[in-house]
Amino acid sequence: MMPLTPETLPRHELAGLDVEVVAAANPDAIGIAGTVVTETTKTLGVEGTDRVWHVPKDAATFRFDLPAEGDSESQSVRVRGSNLVARPARRTEATGDSKWR
Amino acid sequence: MTPGGSEIARERIRRLHDLAREAAGDGNDERAREYVRRARRVAERNRLGLPRRFKRFTCDACDAYLRPSVNARVRLRDGHVVVTCDCGTQARYPYE
Ligand SMILES: [Zn+2]
Repeated sequence: MMPLTPETLPRHELAGLDVEVVAAANPDAIGIAGTVVTETTKTLGVEGTDRVWHVPKDAATFRFDLPAEGDSESQSVRVRGSNLVARPARRTEATGDSKWR
Repeated sequence: MTPGGSEIARERIRRLHDLAREAAGDGNDERAREYVRRARRVAERNRLGLPRRFKRFTCDACDAYLRPSVNARVRLRDGHVVVTCDCGTQARYPYE
């Protein structure tokens, strides 16, 4: 098992996680909070109470809530969005562990 | 590859399967498709198989997450099950 942890998060599935934008180049984006429902190479789609916000990853810092799993308590982790810029399905291989390189 | 790579991939596929089922249950069919497609892509990129349940409940043609009697018809035939997606694609599985 390789569960969702602060270390594995950038390579893990982000959809379904609760997230908040804690810093961003665009001040209007700061404070956007909700559940990640969609992802593209450059954006995260965050579903708030009444709409989905498409937040550019590159210019934002996110705080994800990681649910309690096994022995570990729930915790939150800050991630620079620039570390998440990649095709969603490719992030799992994004640290140079691809079999194709 | 570094240890854990395909473990993360496996776990991701499991989570995407859960998300697809949940989205389909809420009537978010396009969102469910996104999760189904991503799970397929992660499996492909990491040379992993997909769980049997995933294969049975997704349409090979349009990537829909199938809910019998909602967006798929399930009929029992002699020795096999026929699942027909709303898009018209049929899949046949032997009885298990
Ligand atoms: Zn279909």
